[in-house]
Amino acid sequence: MRLFTGQRAWVVQRLSALLLLVLILLAMLALPFASPLDFSAWRALAGGALGGPLIALLFGALCAHAWVGMRDIVLDYLQPRGLRLAVLGLITVVLLGVLARVLLSLAMVALAA
Amino acid sequence: MRLNIYRYDPERGDPPRMQAYDVQPEAGDKKLLDLLMRLRVQDDSLSFRRSCREGVCGSDAMNINGRNGLACLTALDGLKEPIVLRPLPGFPVIRDLVVDMTQFFAHYHSIRPWLINDEPLPERERLQTPTERERLDGLYECILCACCSAFCPSYWWNPDKFIGPSGLLQAYRFIADSRDTASAERLDFLDDVYRLYRCRTIMNCTEVCPKGLSPSHAIERIRLALLQRSS
Amino acid sequence: MVPVRAAPAPPAGSYCPRARMDKPPHRLPVFLNLAQIRFPIGAIASIAHRVSGVLLFIALPVLAALLHASLRSEADFASVRGLLSSPLSLVVAGVLAWALAHHVLAGIRHLLMDVGIGSELERARASARLILVAAPALALLLLVWGLS
Repeated sequence: MRLFTGQRAWVVQRLSALLLLVLILLAMLALPFASPLDFSAWRALAGGALGGPLIALLFGALCAHAWVGMRDIVLDYLQPRGLRLAVLGLITVVLLGVLARVLLSLAMVALAA
Repeated sequence: MRLNIYRYDPERGDPPRMQAYDVQPEAGDKKLLDLLMRLRVQDDSLSFRRSCREGVCGSDAMNINGRNGLACLTALDGLKEPIVLRPLPGFPVIRDLVVDMTQFFAHYHSIRPWLINDEPLPERERLQTPTERERLDGLYECILCACCSAFCPSYWWNPDKFIGPSGLLQAYRFIADSRDTASAERLDFLDDVYRLYRCRTIMNCTEVCPKGLSPSHAIERIRLALLQRSS
Repeated sequence: MVPVRAAPAPPAGSYCPRARMDKPPHRLPVFLNLAQIRFPIGAIASIAHRVSGVLLFIALPVLAALLHASLRSEADFASVRGLLSSPLSLVVAGVLAWALAHHVLAGIRHLLMDVGIGSELERARASARLILVAAPALALLLLVWGLS
């Protein structure tokens, strides 16, 4: 049960962490200037040429980071092979679901605009 | 002084239990091991390992009041009573405070703890500059007492696959050695989810090393060496 | 002078065939009662890092669902906004704010330690203590800021 091997997973974890840090910092800097959002402004932001890709990037990094972290927890605490595979599979399905849902929502808004 | 000691007798087959002892330290008793030696006179069934009694052989590693340490280096002054002694956490207990270190040493063997250099032997020894020699400081002093590995949660969960802080410190000791020519193979061997990358930099290892070494620092250097190699 | 012989090359695959790396076959007791082990401050920060990560993982599908709903229609947007201002979600938001604050701070600490900054024991202890205190404070700040 190796999946992603040693160094590659470690690098994915660190790079996604750095990306998330940058995105969080960006959001913290931008938020004070944002006016209270109404529905149309929110849709315009998420469907925009900047907002959409940034949200997609955020969730992509989030999912990659979460996958490596959850895999580490599984490798530490769950020893039986079958249980490991089942939980790892479940985690993967959940994260792919999150990613699909976010991308779909963004595509929906972008196409409507 | 009052002590509370983990007892296990494999011949009796009873589960392990804690036993209370009272022992009077005498003038000149400075370390926990001095007290344990007096205890052994009182109760000769009590088992623990010890040899050099000065922190060089690494035999008397145990869990002292919840932290791993060497009995011979632990000062009696400042130890909270009752002094609770248990075997090294996560290691199979053979009897009382004596644990089975087979697996620990197998990991040590796996990193090939010897100099590898196939170049023709020089007339005398393989020389190092003082700077090259300095790189081994903080690495070669490890006495393999297992205080660190037995305090590492990652080693507790995967003792059969994770090399553990002690073995990784030893691995870096040879990677850092200017006379060793097998660094690439050594790094190849370590690049593995289990062998190296189970470490989460908790630093429990460095916290308890009785020799004041930093396995976590060695692991950090191995990861950087791997990163440098692949970029 | 006696020539020094280099150690023979070990057989490929297994360096020490006699050594046993798998779990010992005989059943011996193992002492591993975590309540009886005194954990250093770094271990506390580390387990909190792990717990906060799991909390954030659990929040992720909810976050995706909220994002989806808030973009779907005016009415769903309003109901998401209503949901977020309920008292229950305040508690949830508080816990998640801590999880985010701790996970980010502990993550920065680890990234710095990866490149050798603050990885000496004394400084690692100090930074562990710092993030354990700073995370709840930052969470409170986030929460107050979010409410205003």
